[in-house]
Amino acid sequence: MRVRIEHETHYEYDSPIRALIQILRMTPRSYAGQHVRRWRIEPNIDGHLRQTEDALGNIVHHFSAESGARSLSLQVSGEVETTDTGGVVKGGVTRAPDVYFLRETALTAPDEALRVFAREASDFKPDDVLGSMHRLNNRINAEVTFDTAPTQVVTTANEAFAMRSGVCQDLTHIFVACARHLGVPARYVSGYFVRIDGVVDQDAGHAWAEAQVPGLGWVGFDPANGISTTDAHVRVAVGLDYLGAAPIRGSRWGGGGETMAVKLTVEDAGGSIQSQQQNQG
Amino acid sequence: MLSRTASNLFWLFRYTERADFVARILDATMRLAALPTSYNEERNEWNSALASAGNVALFKQHYDTVNEDTVRDFLAFSPHNPSSIRNCLASARINARAVRTALTAEMWETINDAWLELKNSRGNDMDRDAFSDFLEFTKTVSLHFDGSAYRTMLRNDAYYFTRLGVSIERADNTARILDVKYHVLLPESERVGGSLDYFQWTTILREVQAHTAYHWVYREAVKPWHVADLLILNRQMPRSLACCYESLVRHLDLIADIYGRRGPSQRLAATTSAQLASSRIEEVFGHGLHEWVGKFIVENNQLGAEIAEQYLI
Repeated sequence: MRVRIEHETHYEYDSPIRALIQILRMTPRSYAGQHVRRWRIEPNIDGHLRQTEDALGNIVHHFSAESGARSLSLQVSGEVETTDTGGVVKGGVTRAPDVYFLRETALTAPDEALRVFAREASDFKPDDVLGSMHRLNNRINAEVTFDTAPTQVVTTANEAFAMRSGVCQDLTHIFVACARHLGVPARYVSGYFVRIDGVVDQDAGHAWAEAQVPGLGWVGFDPANGISTTDAHVRVAVGLDYLGAAPIRGSRWGGGGETMAVKLTVEDAGGSIQSQQQNQG
Repeated sequence: MLSRTASNLFWLFRYTERADFVARILDATMRLAALPTSYNEERNEWNSALASAGNVALFKQHYDTVNEDTVRDFLAFSPHNPSSIRNCLASARINARAVRTALTAEMWETINDAWLELKNSRGNDMDRDAFSDFLEFTKTVSLHFDGSAYRTMLRNDAYYFTRLGVSIERADNTARILDVKYHVLLPESERVGGSLDYFQWTTILREVQAHTAYHWVYREAVKPWHVADLLILNRQMPRSLACCYESLVRHLDLIADIYGRRGPSQRLAATTSAQLASSRIEEVFGHGLHEWVGKFIVENNQLGAEIAEQYLI
């Protein structure tokens, strides 16, 4: 599938800013399942934009500016050619050993309720990790309602699970927390998703999980959709949790309060055109 | 465009690129051979030149011994060796004549003049100076020809096919050098103060025209793993495998845009390019340089076959 992405993040500040720095994990890497045809990051104020790589091999841009600007627009646009690999990630970067992805983080440390759920939902069998992960994926999809209202970016897996609701970010945290509790290395993936269900006014970008399955390597599981990843998914960054893969993190000096607006369209450039209004979630 | 025309353009540029490569191998080997024997008791540089440039089995059918004269004759002039400089330029000229109308006047004149000049050349009775001049002439032809294409050709599918020819041939040539000389690049082969190794490494750099580039990039003495890094993964280096594959991906994408269709060659090139872009030289050494390069050569040939299947026949 040829996926065309236009992602605009717009900030309005109460007063002119003095300086700002942002870390952008917004550039996908090519691997066997996806080929980046073109990709651009275009901020609308002058500054330094430097590309580097983080410890996990994600492409990272550092954007820093000293400016009297009252607003900032980051325009990210590109085209990615994807193929359906049945969820298996072949030829991706490997910078960290698999066991690194067993590490608990503040957002994904499971409490007792989630641990019980992990064992029970996956019916875990060490000789059938793939089946166990599919069961876990389906149960999360069935039990946790997709709802943008109650959760925020700082909501932990436990809190979201207790409410039985959340956005793709929360569902992914729940999946990752459960998988790691079962001893399966798992990681958080942020990216883009071409909606096939025709829902256009979706209030979230996309996130899903990858689990390390013996014999197959990393396999993508999308608990928000209850499926393995397909050619509708564009992988951008991986991390232990949302904070490690977040599209934009930054801080600034001056400017007072801010409002942020995100406009995102993800469309199949070869087929019908759909658009989404999204925040990363 | 007729696939026949595409094929002629593709091979025309493969042949001129190959002529340049063979000339560089001979040039670098003559430098190495000119070193005093005390640096190198084994004196196998002509063997290794032969192996880098190709067909050892064919050589053995026509010559009994491997020495400067026979290797020079085989690689530069032999009518029996399809990759000899003379045959490369002759084949290039045949391909060029077949697609004369797809070329610009500058390109045609360069390749035709080269062929006329070559017809009058004396062959292997040249002394070293004259042979050096001949190698210089070959390199100039390639430079002139490729430069004319870059400066004068329309940027359409014809031009993109010429880039595919250049890039796939270059990737193959660089990989062959690595395949033949991998043992001098392995970290464990480093002998303290081994001046021979230094000359071997610089020879590799000269063969891919990277001697100055190396010092720009690494700013230190020649070290084998840096040499491997430069030739395999450095995207700035025009003969590195990563750079060749970037060019292949870009031009295959452009061709796919023109024809509105993507196929196996696009997928294969994109996959290999993504691997090169995300690899590190430690990983390549971890897999074993020799195995890694061997696999690459097979994949590169596979890509050549896919391009032929998709566009050239």
